[in-house]
Amino acid sequence: MSAFKRVQQWATFARTWHVFDCKWQDPYDSAQVIKKYLMGLHKPIYHPTNDCGDVVVCINSRDIALRGDEWRKRAYFHHTGYPGGASWTLAWELHNKDPTMIIRKAIYRSMKGNLQRRHTMERLFIFPGEDVPQDIMQNVTNQIRQLRLVPTRLDHIPEEEVQKYPKVMDYPQDYVLK
Amino acid sequence: MSNKHLFLNSGFVRAPLQNGVGRYVCQLQRIVLKFCKTHGSCRGLRDFIEQDLVDFAKQNPGVVVYLKPRRHRGPVAVAEYLNGDRVWMNLANKTHSEITKWIEVLRTQQGDIASTRLRKYQYTDHPSIQGPWTPFTFKNPELNTAVLPDQKFGANDRLPMSATEQLRLMFEKQKLEEGDVKTAE
Amino acid sequence: MVFLSIANWVRSRGPDEIWRKRRVFKLAAHYIGRRRNCYSVAVRNVHRALVYATKARQLKKQDMIDLWNTRITAACEQHNITYYTLKEGLDRSNIMLDRKSLSDLAAWEPRTFECLAAVAKQKIDYDGFIDGTDRKQPTGVNLNLKDVMLEAWLKENKK
Repeated sequence: MSAFKRVQQWATFARTWHVFDCKWQDPYDSAQVIKKYLMGLHKPIYHPTNDCGDVVVCINSRDIALRGDEWRKRAYFHHTGYPGGASWTLAWELHNKDPTMIIRKAIYRSMKGNLQRRHTMERLFIFPGEDVPQDIMQNVTNQIRQLRLVPTRLDHIPEEEVQKYPKVMDYPQDYVLK
Repeated sequence: MSNKHLFLNSGFVRAPLQNGVGRYVCQLQRIVLKFCKTHGSCRGLRDFIEQDLVDFAKQNPGVVVYLKPRRHRGPVAVAEYLNGDRVWMNLANKTHSEITKWIEVLRTQQGDIASTRLRKYQYTDHPSIQGPWTPFTFKNPELNTAVLPDQKFGANDRLPMSATEQLRLMFEKQKLEEGDVKTAE
Repeated sequence: MVFLSIANWVRSRGPDEIWRKRRVFKLAAHYIGRRRNCYSVAVRNVHRALVYATKARQLKKQDMIDLWNTRITAACEQHNITYYTLKEGLDRSNIMLDRKSLSDLAAWEPRTFECLAAVAKQKIDYDGFIDGTDRKQPTGVNLNLKDVMLEAWLKENKK
């Protein structure tokens, strides 16, 4: 293979490091998106035996949002292997113990149960907050877009923009607000 | 499931069109003819050896011809090529003219093509004109200098427009059309 | 031939037994253990192998179709379009490219594939067709194909 073709192959099969902000996102919906990047299903050169998956770094996994009553009702099962070692842990208990487990389990469940799954999960990094080690963050080159809209808080918007925003109606001057 | 235990050789379509454009190199390295001097099935081969073999050897100086007379065995030709292929061919009960044609086939082949399974039916040295896909082909160049994670690249930009945004756009359009805008009181 | 002793009870099970069995052993040459050397073990395994080979011809075609579909879907998502929309748009524009060609274009000629996706999207817009399978997941860049001749051609080829 000539040098030009070798460099071309390096470019085509290059592994990209993506970052995903899990703040206020549903873990199971975002797992569907993240698993595509981990398995390489977002590339037109995909092949199951090709090892074309990318690395994904999930941040803010502590701020994840489950739907409805799931924080109180969803239970995760674990068996140690020994007799009497079955345990059911509720979502809020699990999140308190380890904030990365819920999204990790969600992504693990979204993949097919074949032998490649554990290898693919090795490419996933999850951090509960914003601080990520420098040697991981310096490799990150792309950001995966979130699915749900994260609205900005009113007190995070600067004062003049709030005043300037057009109003449909306004209270009269002598109106007394209770 | 690997290929190495299978005896059926596989290869790609090849057309070395360079051979013959400048200089022609005969791909046949040596040909071994085994025959019996008395058996009936070797009659055609014996005729070929007696009449046409010397001319063949003179016309193809790059081909080494071995003759192996073996008693009570059938006539066989083994051709070896420059790429290492060995083609074994049974010449029993073939006429002189048929053997001449088969020897011509062996001479002009470049290897054992008949028994090679083609993996693909097309071959090209230049599969791509625009350049193959890379992860950088459709990447936003602003990502090169951005500090990630950034709100601009992280927020969803395909969501349908919210009601607030629609109202704001209507307001802006109205402002452009008429200078004075009335609000409800 | 001269027989120096009388051979009794010699029974031949068939004059061409050796050649029949040789056909089977040729196919079983790369097997392990008795399957390679003993006829009755080998013949069972060779028959199974041949049956698998027959059934696999259809499976291989199905596998290739699935792979092409995955690759086309992946390439579509880079351009914020769904596979369904692409197929619909190309069919309506009378562009008859099969899955193999589309996946090869997506891998080897990415700009051509981008243009095809833009053509499909434009045609769908002109026809007023709404894609219900599009879940509005943001994965790529919005296509921006500005071609004057394209509008006229797409409007003319309306089904």
